[in-house]
Amino acid sequence: MTNLVFLVPLLPLIGFLLNGLLNNKISKNLAAAIGVLSVAGSFAIAAGIFLQSFHESSASHTIQYCTWLKAGSLTIPFEFLVDHLSMLFMLIITGVGLLIHIYSAGYMHDDDGFNRFFAYLNLFMFSMLMLVLGANYVMMFVGWEGVGLCSYLLIGFWYKNQEYNSAAKKAFIMNRIGDLGFLAGMFLMFSHFGSLSFAEVFEKAKAFSTNDTAIVGITLLLFIGACGKSAQIPLFTWLPDAMAGPTPVSALIHAATMVTAGIYMIARSNVLYTLAPTTLKVILVVGVFTALLGSFIALTQKDIKKVLAYSTVSQLGYMFIALGLGNYNAAVFHVMTHAFFKALLFLGAGSVIHAMSGEQDIFKMGGLRKHLPITNITFFIATLAISGFPLLSGFFSKDEIFVAALSYSPLLWLPISILFFLTPFYMFRLYFLTFYGEYRGTQEQMDHLHESPQIMTIPLMILAVLSVVGGWINASLFNIHGLEHFLEPVFRNYTLPFSSEGNEILEYGLAAVSLVVVIYLIWLTNNVFAKKEAENLAEEDMSFLQKLSYNKFYVDELYAFLIQKPLDWISEKTYEFIEVSGIDQIVNGTGSFVGWSSNTLRKLQTGHIGFYLFAMVFGIIMILVLNFII
Amino acid sequence: MEHLKMLPIEHYIFLSTILFCIGVAGVLLRRNAIIILMSVELMLNAVNLLLAAFSVFHGDAAGQVFVFFIMIVAAAEVAVGLAILMVIYRNNHSTDIDLLSKLKW
Amino acid sequence: MTVLVLLSVLGLITLFSGFSSDKKLPIYLGIVGLAVVLGFNFMGWDLAHNAYNMVVADNYSIAFTTIMTFSTIFILFLLPDFSEKVEVPLAEITSLLLFTLFGAYLMVSYSNLVMLFIGIEILSISLYILAGSKKSNTASNEAAMKYFLMGSFATGFLLFGITLIYGATGSFDLGTIKTFVTDHAADTSTLLLVGVILMLIGLAFKISAAPFHFWAPDVYQGSPSLVTGFMATVVKTAGIAAFFKLFYTCFIPLADSWRTTIWVMAALTMTIGNITALYQTTFKRMLAYSSIAHAGYLLLALLALNNLSATAILYYATAYSLATIASFAVLITVHQAKQSHSLDSFKGLAKNNPFLAVMATIALCSLAGIPPLAGFFAKFYLFSAVIKEHFYWIVVIAVLNSCVGIFYYFRIIVNMFSPTAEQETIEVSSLYKMVIFVCIILSLVLGLLPDLILRCNL
Repeated sequence: MTNLVFLVPLLPLIGFLLNGLLNNKISKNLAAAIGVLSVAGSFAIAAGIFLQSFHESSASHTIQYCTWLKAGSLTIPFEFLVDHLSMLFMLIITGVGLLIHIYSAGYMHDDDGFNRFFAYLNLFMFSMLMLVLGANYVMMFVGWEGVGLCSYLLIGFWYKNQEYNSAAKKAFIMNRIGDLGFLAGMFLMFSHFGSLSFAEVFEKAKAFSTNDTAIVGITLLLFIGACGKSAQIPLFTWLPDAMAGPTPVSALIHAATMVTAGIYMIARSNVLYTLAPTTLKVILVVGVFTALLGSFIALTQKDIKKVLAYSTVSQLGYMFIALGLGNYNAAVFHVMTHAFFKALLFLGAGSVIHAMSGEQDIFKMGGLRKHLPITNITFFIATLAISGFPLLSGFFSKDEIFVAALSYSPLLWLPISILFFLTPFYMFRLYFLTFYGEYRGTQEQMDHLHESPQIMTIPLMILAVLSVVGGWINASLFNIHGLEHFLEPVFRNYTLPFSSEGNEILEYGLAAVSLVVVIYLIWLTNNVFAKKEAENLAEEDMSFLQKLSYNKFYVDELYAFLIQKPLDWISEKTYEFIEVSGIDQIVNGTGSFVGWSSNTLRKLQTGHIGFYLFAMVFGIIMILVLNFII
Repeated sequence: MEHLKMLPIEHYIFLSTILFCIGVAGVLLRRNAIIILMSVELMLNAVNLLLAAFSVFHGDAAGQVFVFFIMIVAAAEVAVGLAILMVIYRNNHSTDIDLLSKLKW
Repeated sequence: MTVLVLLSVLGLITLFSGFSSDKKLPIYLGIVGLAVVLGFNFMGWDLAHNAYNMVVADNYSIAFTTIMTFSTIFILFLLPDFSEKVEVPLAEITSLLLFTLFGAYLMVSYSNLVMLFIGIEILSISLYILAGSKKSNTASNEAAMKYFLMGSFATGFLLFGITLIYGATGSFDLGTIKTFVTDHAADTSTLLLVGVILMLIGLAFKISAAPFHFWAPDVYQGSPSLVTGFMATVVKTAGIAAFFKLFYTCFIPLADSWRTTIWVMAALTMTIGNITALYQTTFKRMLAYSSIAHAGYLLLALLALNNLSATAILYYATAYSLATIASFAVLITVHQAKQSHSLDSFKGLAKNNPFLAVMATIALCSLAGIPPLAGFFAKFYLFSAVIKEHFYWIVVIAVLNSCVGIFYYFRIIVNMFSPTAEQETIEVSSLYKMVIFVCIILSLVLGLLPDLILRCNL
């Protein structure tokens, strides 16, 4: 089975080629079939590989296909690494991806770019699978760039809207800043290890001492790349804007898979990161602040997708907290459960938006539970899961992170307890505003209200089931450590020592507290946002904190002031002094010189054979004279 | 064959070179395609002469065999060249190569 | 040897199949026959079969003949739907193309200067006819005449060079010459040096290196487009492969006396080719200058002359042939629709026929050397082979020239994607579509997996 792994990325690639090349020549149904079936095939193979792995003694296979690049001492083979970590990601990507593909067939059905959409989605699947399967940093980087490109294409999918285009550009540029870090990290890595393949680098890394400057430098640079891709401070502002893309894209790329690439990369490089506690501290701090900032901003947003986007930023912050604590298991675990419930939330939101004819403002919704029963229930389950309601998937994964954080340092008590309250609060605010209370939309939208077709609701139900039970594979509260054991071959010796025995009280305590907190917040938000008429505050009436949150902490404005303004100033001055009076002259001069010489040289080609023969003989004589007489 | 070696090889080289240069000069100075063709033949024959001389000088037959190859190839070349010239003559009614200057720049 | 016999018999068969009522039969025969030849050719891999010390089928010659055969097959595929008015029967065109290919085979597998000369002549004489195959078209006449006169003039110098080398070493055999040159490296006679320089000139003419390039633009422009495509790919590849083989096997000990000449020639060739291409108004003539420029890059391999050079040339020739054939196929299609080769006729192509525009863009990007296409890695490997021998300045010149190149290639791309008022459909015959598509896919594959060719052990 493992030797079929090449098919896993290949099938979506074929799907992309078929859909991309045939584009408008095939019907929408055929395009959807190609898109869905190719991913289904990948999923089947990934599942096969996964099941087979239980019967195998060796946990990791490197499959080398050919030498891909060779330049000097740098040899980059085209090789796949199939171990338990990449298997797990493969399953998440193809599994959630498959559901979202099916959902998209319904969601995008009336769109003109339907076939193009599936082509892009398949290209994304291909790139993402290359990212997780690559057995060296270069292949990972190719996938990394590929998903960035697809994200750009899909955010700007409705390219006729100029605002969406700028959102796409913003995402691309922010990602490029991160990619620069990744690239620089790779260069530094090559200069220190002389190789970029995982196996070799990790082997050689063992010779380095803890906190070696080189390792810290490499890990920090790679972390910058992760910041860009996984939307961490300071490179997070693109993610909320990325919501301009179609909702299935937000679910697939900007919640479940692509944004977790940073976590995958760090988890994959666990050997290096464990050797660099300094970097881990940086990651921890960044993760804590991102989680807090994302939650704060999510509190007051009015756009249903923006709330979810900031919640994603905050959840990604959790994962980075786990990484910063050196608890890679917990991070990967949270990636998985988050993929379930956040995809579900986005798809549910998509279903709502679909029903509301494109409306995204939650203050113009309300009372939708009667009209969208399935969406309502599944959305509620997902909300409970993300809030950490005991025994649902989000509870177990968050619990693990919180326990690790709390036992790491008392300093983390404060932010963790704030997060504890914020997540359920903004999620239930969203939920009650959307599904409860009075209907606040227009009559026209009211007439259109309908539950989504089955092709959209079935993925919702499957994801809801996963959101409920998905956490049980690693329910440490009940001494189930399935995932931990599964990932042990990858993280063995590198997860920081952390025993769960002494923390049982803490775990039970957390469970109890979260139960109480969630129930209390359900009651509270229900009172505020559902029972009472929801008040849609104008910006002037908001308190200072509300304003701060509503305006996303003015981060965009801050960047504009700190970076854009000075850059504008510098560029204006350079433009005036260097560009116009200096470079322009030189460039234009060179240009016109080349043009002039082209026009002159051209005239040499007179068309007369006589002249050509003369020129030839002249050339011969010159060569002979220069060689033999001078 | 021995009496051919009475002259030093340098003489043959000079003679051939001069013949070759006369051929080159003919190509450069004449405008009639047929005469240019003849001048090229002169160049080839200068080469043939030299080859034969070297062949004797080295006592190696390969040079003389090569002369035959050159002659055959030259004949083929001239046949094709004259055919091209015929076509041009039909279109232009002239063999002056200066008329052929439409393709330029 | 079998391959050579097969190929010449194939040429005769296609010539006589012209008597058949099916006018396209010779082409199909030619394609099938070439496939058979390819098979036989490939069976000789690693065997280095030597026939009477005249021709040797080593890996070097097999590799180059293979890509030239592929190029010829592509050209033959383009022949049935070729729209320009060629007044020579298709059977004769096909067999002439095959005879040219035969000459090219000899040019890369010779191990005796006589064979080199005969190869060059078989190739050239067939080409003179092909260039003039539009009999009533004065441009085609003019191209044939110019090519013929200058070609036979250059042959004179090549022969004089061969003769002088024979005079100095007493043999036409490459092996003997090599031993002689190595033994007498310290006291080389002027006779030998002049001979080497004259041969260099004759071969430089064949690959259209400056200052012997003057024939190329006019001949390329006047010939039927398909023949031009053939010249730019097969003939150029054969020329540079023959050039490299001769100098690499025999004259390395004398490198000091001819390296500077090559250096200057390479610099001149790429500069003149690229800069003159800038001002061209027709696509065909622009491609002619661009092919001169590429000859300049290829000459760098003769400067390096190390173990990387042969594969670098092979890779470069492959990448260049693929992109050039695709470009010519596009050119012919556009010419058929608009009856013009001018750059303006490409305006709005992206709208009228997106497939063609995208394919042409990729082909031009490959020619310009944009990663990750084959053209980029071709330049990359060629330049790194030269850098390895510490020739830095010529690489600087080459890189600057590549930048100029990007400018004129992109001018066409910009033209294709600029809007136009005219709405017209451009018909692409399915054969053309197939050839273009295959060439582009191969360019991409070679760009992504350069190792496919680079691991050839030449």
